[in-house]
Amino acid sequence: MNTDKAFRLSLFFFTISSFIIVASIVVSLIATSYPIFMRDGLSFIIRGAWNPVREDYGILPALLGTLITSAIAIAIALPLSISLAVFSSELIPGKFKIIMNNVSDLMASLPSVIYGLWGLFVLAPILHQFVMMPLHMHLGFIPLLSTRPVPTNLFTAGVLLAIMIVPFASSVIREAYSAIPYYLKEAAYSLGMNRWEVIRMMLGYIKSAIFAGTFLALGRAMGETVAVAMVVGNIMRFPKSLFDMGYTISSLIASQFPNAEAYEFMVPALYGGAFMLFIMGLAINLIGFSMMRRMVVHR
Amino acid sequence: MKFYELTNGKIQVNYQSIGSGAGQAKFREGVLDFAGSDVPLKKDIYNEFKEKGGIIQFPVIIGSVAIVYNIPGAESGRLRLTGEILAKIYLGEITYWDDPAIKELNPDIALPHERIIAVHRSDGSGTTFVLTAYLSKVSEKWKEKVGADFTVQWPVDEIGSGVGAKGNEGVAAAVKQNQYSIGYVEAAYAYELGLNVAEIRNSDGRYVLPTSETMKAAARALMARLPKADEDWSGIFPHEVMDPPGPDSYPITSFSFVIFRQVYDDPVKVELLREFFKWVLTAGQESENIVKGYIPLPPEVAEIGLRGLEMLRAGG
Repeated sequence: MNTDKAFRLSLFFFTISSFIIVASIVVSLIATSYPIFMRDGLSFIIRGAWNPVREDYGILPALLGTLITSAIAIAIALPLSISLAVFSSELIPGKFKIIMNNVSDLMASLPSVIYGLWGLFVLAPILHQFVMMPLHMHLGFIPLLSTRPVPTNLFTAGVLLAIMIVPFASSVIREAYSAIPYYLKEAAYSLGMNRWEVIRMMLGYIKSAIFAGTFLALGRAMGETVAVAMVVGNIMRFPKSLFDMGYTISSLIASQFPNAEAYEFMVPALYGGAFMLFIMGLAINLIGFSMMRRMVVHR
Repeated sequence: MKFYELTNGKIQVNYQSIGSGAGQAKFREGVLDFAGSDVPLKKDIYNEFKEKGGIIQFPVIIGSVAIVYNIPGAESGRLRLTGEILAKIYLGEITYWDDPAIKELNPDIALPHERIIAVHRSDGSGTTFVLTAYLSKVSEKWKEKVGADFTVQWPVDEIGSGVGAKGNEGVAAAVKQNQYSIGYVEAAYAYELGLNVAEIRNSDGRYVLPTSETMKAAARALMARLPKADEDWSGIFPHEVMDPPGPDSYPITSFSFVIFRQVYDDPVKVELLREFFKWVLTAGQESENIVKGYIPLPPEVAEIGLRGLEMLRAGG
């Protein structure tokens, strides 16, 4: 009785404090970014400019850059992480499975600056030479591939992010996959399904976990700072194609924050960017969850 | 650290690398006892402190910005450029390597008809401040259109030929990876990473590389114009000291500063700051204590700092 009460009280305490932490983050984002919204209003989020000399800031290209790089990352990471999860739980024997899962979990815990340096010195030149230049040469008439690429650009950032988030998404999917009751699988086989059909059925069964893994990964992709700052090209301009250089909100903050206090409006502008990122993340999550609910009900 | 031993572990110097802009802002708030910065205090902060007891600031080391490039077939030290051409490249007005203006200076390099990729820092930095101050000095158009600061809006980005890279190491990597690119880094990085360094025309019309000799020559040429430690340095730094006279002067040479309040509450603090920075300005200037790519102060310039240290005092 008493322990029950204490347990409930402690739950209440932790819930409230995490709520307070999130709320105070939002409050401080709004309070600190207030001056830039008062001065520039909407034009701060519908223009592109980063000119500290004239205290002129507009972050739309960075918002677009965040969306583009995250979309590339998810598009690449989702099939990869599902395959990785299925592969490691269905197709390889026990010992290798443990090694592979450990390696994948280790990848998730590497500091992002390591990914950033690797991305800059290894991934970017390889992608440039073997992927982006050939694509641009042969398929350059497609608007998305029309910019002559330099090694650091939105596409490189998207691919690097994909590599960074695969372990996150795949570990969520893997855990859900291995939690599926065994009798379901046996029942499926007994009905005469082949392996491929069984895997497809099982993936259908864990749709909500795939969604959850995707959104967890998306959150990491949108919020990644240092690694992206090293490979995205860092140009505050509207991107003309996937191979164009750009900015993301998080990489803008990573690049500009250290000297921001030398200016009157740069700190508010960066907090304003963070606030917009928060709003964007919230919107994407809400849409995602309503989509998920619809899919789960349909099943 | 020696200093820690010297004070029997009673005093710790907590020196954090937070960027020149943040350093100045925190110093203004009174959080810091001293700050290091690539540029002196801005005029408004200086004036603010002038009323509150004054500021002491002086140079502690000399550094320079190297112009680096990647043109296949042109080794280090082969390319010659002028400040005006550099400004035009970053303004997006000169866009190809075989532009007549560049060709004229470099008759013996086979310059191809390739777009110039202009690499610049994406994070705010003192290096950018020094380079853009130089470009403002040599190009009226740069001064009007862009200006000098830790971060500027690069016109070359608007035509799609600019690349922003984070940190000196980022710029170095971008220049190495992009054929037909140009960039700027602290001279120390250029040599350490084996980048091709361009010769820049100085105000006497000679083409020079950033070496300890040319940096020293530039510092000597500036000596007569340097203010006293308690005066405002923002009037001449970094704009006015760029492109100094003298046949051997490297045009993009600058100083790094330390900044103090003139009055401290605690007499022990004054004594310690004096002791430590006296070491910095004397024994600290010997070559084994200096990172490669920087050079020691000429004794006359160190003297400004030593006099400045005498002006520190304790009191309410």
